[in-house]
Amino acid sequence: MMRSALYWASHYLLLALYVLFALFPLFWLVKVALTPNELLYSEGIRLWPSRISAEHFRFVLAHSDFPLYFRNSLIVSSATAVIVALVSGACGYGLSRFVFRGKSLLVALLLITQMFPLVMLVAPMFRLLAPLGLTNSLTGLVIVYTAFNAPFATFLMQSFFDGIPRELEEAAMIDGATRFGAFLHILLPLTLPGIAATGGFVFTAAWSELLFALMLISSAQASTFPVGLLSFVSKFSVDFGQMMAAGVLALIPACLFFLFIQRYLVRGLTAGAVKG
Amino acid sequence: MRRAPWLATTVLSVALASSATASAMTLKLVEVITSPERTETLRGIVKSFEDANPDVHVEIISLPWGPSFEKFATMVAAGDTPDVVEMPDTWLALYVNNGALESLEPYLKSWVHTAELNQRTLQLARVIRNTAYMLPYGFYLRALYYNKKLFAAAGIGAAPKTLDEFVATSKKISALPGKYGYCLRGGAGGVNAWMMFGALGSGSDTFFRSDGTSTFTDPGWIKGFSALADLYKSGLAPKDSVNWGYNDIVAGFYSGTCAMIDNDPDALIAISERMKPDEYGVSPWIKGAGGKSFPTIGYGGWSMFANSKHKDAAWKLIATLDGVPGNLAWNRRIGALPIYAAAATDPMYADTKFKGWFDELADPNVVPMIMPMDLRAWALFASSVVPRSSQSVLLGQLTVPEMAQQWAQIMTKAKQSQK
Amino acid sequence: MSATGRRLLRLAEPYFYSAPVLLLIVGVMLIPLSVGLSYAFRDIQLLDPFSGGFVGLDHFRELAADASFSAALRHTLVWTIVTVALQFILGLVLALLLNREFPGRRLTQALVFLPWAVPTFLVGLDWAWLFNPVVGPLPSWLFALHVTRDANNLLSDPATALIGPIVAAVWWGIPFFAITALAALQSIPRDLYEAAAIDGAGVFKQFRSITLPLLAPTIIITILLRTVWVANFADLIVVMTNGGPADSSQTVASYVFTAAFRRLDFGYASAIAAVLLLLLFAYGLAILSLRRRLLHRYS
Repeated sequence: MMRSALYWASHYLLLALYVLFALFPLFWLVKVALTPNELLYSEGIRLWPSRISAEHFRFVLAHSDFPLYFRNSLIVSSATAVIVALVSGACGYGLSRFVFRGKSLLVALLLITQMFPLVMLVAPMFRLLAPLGLTNSLTGLVIVYTAFNAPFATFLMQSFFDGIPRELEEAAMIDGATRFGAFLHILLPLTLPGIAATGGFVFTAAWSELLFALMLISSAQASTFPVGLLSFVSKFSVDFGQMMAAGVLALIPACLFFLFIQRYLVRGLTAGAVKG
Repeated sequence: MRRAPWLATTVLSVALASSATASAMTLKLVEVITSPERTETLRGIVKSFEDANPDVHVEIISLPWGPSFEKFATMVAAGDTPDVVEMPDTWLALYVNNGALESLEPYLKSWVHTAELNQRTLQLARVIRNTAYMLPYGFYLRALYYNKKLFAAAGIGAAPKTLDEFVATSKKISALPGKYGYCLRGGAGGVNAWMMFGALGSGSDTFFRSDGTSTFTDPGWIKGFSALADLYKSGLAPKDSVNWGYNDIVAGFYSGTCAMIDNDPDALIAISERMKPDEYGVSPWIKGAGGKSFPTIGYGGWSMFANSKHKDAAWKLIATLDGVPGNLAWNRRIGALPIYAAAATDPMYADTKFKGWFDELADPNVVPMIMPMDLRAWALFASSVVPRSSQSVLLGQLTVPEMAQQWAQIMTKAKQSQK
Repeated sequence: MSATGRRLLRLAEPYFYSAPVLLLIVGVMLIPLSVGLSYAFRDIQLLDPFSGGFVGLDHFRELAADASFSAALRHTLVWTIVTVALQFILGLVLALLLNREFPGRRLTQALVFLPWAVPTFLVGLDWAWLFNPVVGPLPSWLFALHVTRDANNLLSDPATALIGPIVAAVWWGIPFFAITALAALQSIPRDLYEAAAIDGAGVFKQFRSITLPLLAPTIIITILLRTVWVANFADLIVVMTNGGPADSSQTVASYVFTAAFRRLDFGYASAIAAVLLLLLFAYGLAILSLRRRLLHRYS
């Protein structure tokens, strides 16, 4: 009894400490976004300014191109997340459940793509995509982001599949299920948390990607949100308040996405689910 | 192959545009020192151009200012070149030496406004190969901004006029708790201050001896460099400022952390937004050895790409941008000094806050210093070598003579390889 | 369907699964990558139409004598190891804490994962503010707690500059490890624990004999990928310190950026990148063989 109480006390304490650590910088973002320009420096280290104002949020929503940037980012990130989850799920399944010729080569190729600094890919990539009309287009960005994220998502999916004992499927197949049937009824429910997590990672990676969004896209019509953030830094001044306000607004879709996949992440898997 | 993407987009945009107007030609215009308000002004001037030339459509591409150099270089390398581009002074040597830009001399010869430009405009346009590869739209001359409130708090009446006064003033202000004399720019863009202080010590803005070797190792330059390093080392500039760039020094100034900055007139835009007119002043840059002062002069302008398919239209666009009404509207927005001799009397420049600069221009002992931007190696020297080695000096890892030695070596090599 | 047909189909099955990813990787990444890698052996000056000649191993010889490079390599080692280790340990602890049922768990979980949703550019900016003595609270707090000797910006001191980006990277990256570990924990069938409990295994024994072995494949691959990724990750450093002061926080990844876009020397930049690639590849092979051995031991 005593031990259990002690356990839960330290459990909550640790969690509380971490929540504080995770939220404080976000709180600071919100604080800066709400601080009027004239108090930004004079009350810089106060935890809460003496006067707050929503002017930065109003400006971002009404007078900037941010609604457009949000829309573009949302399209690119969702499309990338869905496509990556599909292709990498398939590839991860293949890597986990089959032994085949060229498997090591495939793994090596996937790994190598993660090891070269992306900065060095910008120029060749531009030359490859431009003749296809894929620069200055959201489709081009989706293709590039899918390729960037696929290797890492594949490994992640493979490891989720690896973590599920093969016996579960084999038992079902002995009971007369097809391989696909076993996949659908046994593996898929067990890997849903993994798929959700992978989708979440890819979504946020695409949501905050800056280098290629900047280099491959020139027109404001096809710009994504991180490039839009840069427009607050000009040679004349940096509108930190507006920039942070845009940043806070940009957290909303990502938060919604997390809440959405949350259901799959915490889904308690009962023993009954794996009996097939 | 390299040109294909450019052609493809042009054909496409021409096709799109021609559905709107009867016959059309599309010019691509790239803005690089972008800010939202500035882009709007640019759109306005371009609109007047399109109204006067209904068969031409101008596509404006505004690059975010921070990474604009990387972005534009990548575009050009991939063959995605514009017809007209905004050209900062520090980029000019790179693009001219690689043969990317068209000489504007033939167009200037027959332009009606050429004679109305002030003498400095054409001098700066022709910095490289004595040929105008760009037409400046305005100048940036360094002057001394000072915080009147902090000056009053430290019991100082007037802005310092010499290096000695500058140091003395900095000491008095740094005696106030949490305040500093000088907003030092130790990070990106710090090169101007190092050159200005070096020249103060030397009493001359000569960068090379007649044999093409660098003067940086001369005792005068070293004395000047040391003066700047000592300001930081003796605590007269914020400790943080070793990493500061443009936005940091401006913020440090208007937030009242430090009382003096050397800066260009365009900083007025940010400062006048956040400080009341009686809280700050602008005075000519300080004088050093021989009673002379060497504020750096910088400029931006418009250039035409050599592979433009519509050169005459591109020139017309440049002529509109730099025409009298266009240029005035532009400089009102960006806060640069005018290119037209007559514009100095414009009401905008009559404002007292511009007085510091016109005092500088009228003073024969103030020599606007052009840094050796014609050297191909200059851009790298200014953007990478200077921050790294000067930070080492400020942090005490390197001595000033060692730094001067390094700099002189690079400069001498750059000068001699370009002969 | 004939027996041979079915056999062929069985043989081809794994290739169907991997074909889309393979096509994408080869087309979009490996081709530009090979082009980029080939620069390492050529004189490629961006924008210079006369460059492009073959220079053999010249760039690598220059690299061997480049003091900035060896310093950047040292910083990369510190940056990568400390960042990944802290992200991993804190992330795993967080996942274990969240894997228990307790009131308020869903809300807690949603909150602690938030940092991951912030774009890295904004993360860098936010932490640079927090470390700034004029607009951020951290310097005065650290000073009050006697952690630091003065209330200055640790980003402007060469001895401590790298700490700033590391803290920001850890803050941002913990949720990644936590989510991955949590997802893996969730997919461990509960009846395994029940069976173990019936057999009389305690909590610690269950952790060692069920949780750890089943988690290991995920953990190892995650660590491998994150190490590679963090080693190549320059955004936070560029935003927060720009490699300074005096190159004290310059890593190989940010050095590649400097060489490519300040010197415009894509040949040299590519040579630096190639060395990093080689080192990471060796590391990757070592980790993968470790993983294979572990999988064999437990299956």
